[in-house]
Amino acid sequence: MAGSLFEKYGGFKTVSRIVMDFYEEALDSDAIGDFFAEVEMTRLIDHQTKFIASLMGGPASFSDERLQLVHRQLKISHGDFDEVARLLSATLAEHGVTPDDISLILDAVESKRSLIVTAPSA
Amino acid sequence: MSIAAINEKLLRSIGVGVALVRASNLQFIFHNAPFAKWFGEPEKGQLLGDVIDGLQAEGINAVIKDGSPFHGEVEVKLKRRTLVIAVTISRAREGKQTLLVVECQNITRIRELEGMIDSYSTMVERNTRELEREKERVERLLLNLMPRSVYEEFKTFGVVTPQLYENVSVVMLDFVNFTDFAARTDPTVTLGELNDIFTAFDRITEQYGCERIKTIGDAYLAVSGMPDPAVDHATAVAHCAVRFIRYLERRNQSHPHKWQARIGLGSGAAVGSVVGIQKYVYDVFGPSVNMASRLQVLAEPMGIVAPAEMKFDLIDEFRIGDFGTHDVKGLGELKLITVTGSTRPVRSY
Repeated sequence: MAGSLFEKYGGFKTVSRIVMDFYEEALDSDAIGDFFAEVEMTRLIDHQTKFIASLMGGPASFSDERLQLVHRQLKISHGDFDEVARLLSATLAEHGVTPDDISLILDAVESKRSLIVTAPSA
Repeated sequence: MSIAAINEKLLRSIGVGVALVRASNLQFIFHNAPFAKWFGEPEKGQLLGDVIDGLQAEGINAVIKDGSPFHGEVEVKLKRRTLVIAVTISRAREGKQTLLVVECQNITRIRELEGMIDSYSTMVERNTRELEREKERVERLLLNLMPRSVYEEFKTFGVVTPQLYENVSVVMLDFVNFTDFAARTDPTVTLGELNDIFTAFDRITEQYGCERIKTIGDAYLAVSGMPDPAVDHATAVAHCAVRFIRYLERRNQSHPHKWQARIGLGSGAAVGSVVGIQKYVYDVFGPSVNMASRLQVLAEPMGIVAPAEMKFDLIDEFRIGDFGTHDVKGLGELKLITVTGSTRPVRSY
């Protein structure tokens, strides 16, 4: 884990705050909040903790199969995906993550797009 | 402003949800804003149990009857969020009237953080287990490269101090015509054969408390008396030598390739240390090692040669033969003996 963004930004101490804020933002968002409304709280938190930690090179491994499985039924569109990326980017910026590092993280998110977006494009 | 008015203002402004309910009919007489936000405005005639869904009637009855406070948690769906509200109900008296004081605290954030810590600690624990496994693997690997006591020193201090051992015996084995065999055989076959034989040798050395130091190509080197001192170091290596030969003889009966080996024994001082920094290897040096390696060359195929000075130690348990005096490179004129297995039954260890 040495040298990862996870370490650079102070480990779990910082990442936990990013997770919490992202969780709030996601639930508050009128565009994508409804995707999370019916998910049980502990599961959603678990999911997002692993998601953010793995994006930053923390001690989580998030397999592509699992990612695909949890999103399959949701019919997520490219617009929804973009919205999550936008919220995440804003949350990271608020926590002092540098623009370079944000773009690294967003690249990692982008690489998962095909696993998550399942709605036919409009 | 009267005290009652101040109290009411206070109750309205705090972040805790508060409501007062008549014990007699469970109807509301007061509630503040947080309460209404979480459970909705109680309508006239609505009862406590209707407003707070999920409260057990027995709990409330117990509060009214014997005054023991009720503690519980209810979940409230508010927009997209599921809030977890801790509810405490206690009994109070106002004149002749019995009231129930309902206090509600929003503990959602605590539950969320608990969930996050659970999730994170599971990940960390799994990682720790993986690291532990990795550490064990590395340890097993290093234990193949050096004796345990040396490994412990290496682990604690990061270096190994070269140690002189005064009384050490060495057994060195080398195969006859190995180069020829290797040249005309598929390398994987050669390696398979060697691996097979050396694994058997390892078991033998272990059985006699010796330590295999290394193999160099087809040569096999083991010691006794280091790093742990051993009184019977001379007999220990001789036992190994005799059993190496016996093993090969038996193996040759059932295998296409007949292996022939020469064995030299040596006795005296040796220094043991880890050599190198990046590619450490535990190695031994000293007169005893030189001796074994020189004498091995002199031995007949399937024979064992030792210096005459070891005779005294070996004579009880082995058959000793005279091998004459030889000029040994680096060691000068040496009286030598041959060693073969005793006809007596072997002492079992």
